[in-house]
Amino acid sequence: MSEAHEILQVNGLSVDYVLPQRDVRAVDDVSFTVDRGEFLGIVGESGCGKSTLLFAVAQLLAPPARIAAGSVRFEGNNLVGLTDKQLSAVRWRDMSVVMQSAMNALNPVKSIGAQFKDALQAHGKPSKQEIATRSAEVMRMVGIDPVHLKSYPHQLSGGMRQRSMIAMAMLFTPDLVIMDEPTSALDVVAQRALMVQIKELQQTFGFAVIFVTHDMSLISHFSDRLMVMYAGQIDELGATRTIFDRPLHPYTQGLLEAFPSIHGPRVPLRGIPGNPPDLAMIPTGCRFHPRCPYAVERCTAIAPDLYPVDGDLVRCLRRQDGTLPRADQEGSLSR
Amino acid sequence: MSELLRTEHLTRHFKIGGMLSRRTLHAVDDVSFSIGEREIVALAGESGSGKSTIARVLARVYKPTSGEIYFEGKPLSAIRSRRDGLRYSSLVPMVFQDPFASINPVFRVQHGVLRILKLHRPELPAKKRLDEAARVFGVVGLGADMLQRFPYELSGGQRQRVGFAQALAMRPKLILADEPVSMLDVSIRIGLLNLMAKLRDEEGVSILYITHDIASARYVADRLIVMYAGQIAESGPIEDVLTIPKHPYTQLLLSAVPDPMAPLSQVSDQGEPPKVVDPTPGCRFRWRCPLAIEKCSAVTPVLAELRPGHEAACHVAQTGAEVRAFAS
Repeated sequence: MSEAHEILQVNGLSVDYVLPQRDVRAVDDVSFTVDRGEFLGIVGESGCGKSTLLFAVAQLLAPPARIAAGSVRFEGNNLVGLTDKQLSAVRWRDMSVVMQSAMNALNPVKSIGAQFKDALQAHGKPSKQEIATRSAEVMRMVGIDPVHLKSYPHQLSGGMRQRSMIAMAMLFTPDLVIMDEPTSALDVVAQRALMVQIKELQQTFGFAVIFVTHDMSLISHFSDRLMVMYAGQIDELGATRTIFDRPLHPYTQGLLEAFPSIHGPRVPLRGIPGNPPDLAMIPTGCRFHPRCPYAVERCTAIAPDLYPVDGDLVRCLRRQDGTLPRADQEGSLSR
Repeated sequence: MSELLRTEHLTRHFKIGGMLSRRTLHAVDDVSFSIGEREIVALAGESGSGKSTIARVLARVYKPTSGEIYFEGKPLSAIRSRRDGLRYSSLVPMVFQDPFASINPVFRVQHGVLRILKLHRPELPAKKRLDEAARVFGVVGLGADMLQRFPYELSGGQRQRVGFAQALAMRPKLILADEPVSMLDVSIRIGLLNLMAKLRDEEGVSILYITHDIASARYVADRLIVMYAGQIAESGPIEDVLTIPKHPYTQLLLSAVPDPMAPLSQVSDQGEPPKVVDPTPGCRFRWRCPLAIEKCSAVTPVLAELRPGHEAACHVAQTGAEVRAFAS
């Protein structure tokens, strides 16, 4: 894909939490791009830095977190270092954010319509008529009756609140919508309906989506590319379907095998032994080696880079030199 | 399999609203089920379907509005003395959803276990308590050195194991586990599910596994009870319910479970479970059900056995017709 298609270029991005004792690096040298209209999924466990990365891309970090290095180029402009005033020209108009908990993201003492009005007035001087028309339009887009513009957040169900958050993100038809686990507070049925809706809106309006989740299976049918994070770094980055069919990194492989399925034979699963690392005490060498069943001596000493393998990027020494069995050929990790 | 616990027409209502708008929320309505010995029963449903209320009624946190619970054949309403109450609590302990909120942060981990041993197993001499605490920690896969740690030193998975160790210290017959893995990372969930299976197989404990995650229920449970709006929609041996779901709601639920290895199902349903306030008779799923017939809005369906051990509360399924409301 040529650069003209790339809407977002993240280069060498590192984020530190500046703490009294020492700094903790939550995101370490992360680089990726997002194409116009692309759906990028970011998955990882709690504490892997996925939400911090998202906040850094949206320039929403607050102390003690700060961007230590790298750039975030959105439609050609580096957002890192811009003032709030300069950022506000971009925010919401070109790039909007949907947070995990709509209950906390929406203002509880204002009606949905009033909050839409605030957002619209922050970027121009629309007439009352224009505000009413656009607000009703976006509500219909997400399948909510516009009468609910008069409702307050507590009067809506969890699914409707999350939908109205998405409606709000659609007010200016942005080029990029950043979503941080928008469905995790919902039940499976509502969750699925919302995913289908997001995908439909995306196909209609052509915006790009960065979707962060801890649940890989949720986005398996929706994202174009998948980025797997572990301990602040990218472990694997590639086409979603390919990663599901033949994960290259032992961690990705382990994650995929940690999900029981409702289809097929009931097989015993093992999950991934051990616990995700504390970012203040990162293991030497490959950060996954203490939990990795394939780790050999050099994994404990040499920190691997992201290597291109079969069209994907993977951070694994043994995958790079071809000494690791292929997931689709050699059976699996836990069986 | 002999029966351990049975509920009969268990009902729990809550009064809501102010003085002038007295209304009744039917959190659990006419629920009858049983749990056998050495059995894991999964109780699944959307939030608000009443599954946590059932756990709390079984734990005697709430009194049932009507209906009865029998434990080892004896009705719970007959429990009068504090001693009998304590005895029941130790036989039927709870494990909570949030491992970060359910352990006292200012004490070492051993504190909770030792308190339980002192309170619920007074026959155990004080000197033996620490040994017993180490034993239950061993069963749940924690080293004895963990006893001296503070909760903040433990990961979420380890804390949840402490929760199970505390329950186990009471020598329980039935553990009420309310969403015990939903707050844990995917890579360590399986370890806890395997622990639940181990407690059943090796310690002979039954577990009521309350969850919204059908796939994890299938992984450990023997039977599945699907709740909808305070009532049981369907129950039966878990493989039967999952392969031949009889209730349209179960079919909807199964079609929505994300599965990377299966093609995306084309079900579209934007409905939501109703708030069951002062309900009128009729099936509570009828507004979302593509198969609803006239009878569904007039008569509340009750559970009927359609195949051995497999029950569903659906008028359409009970006519013997094949129910295919939502393909999964």
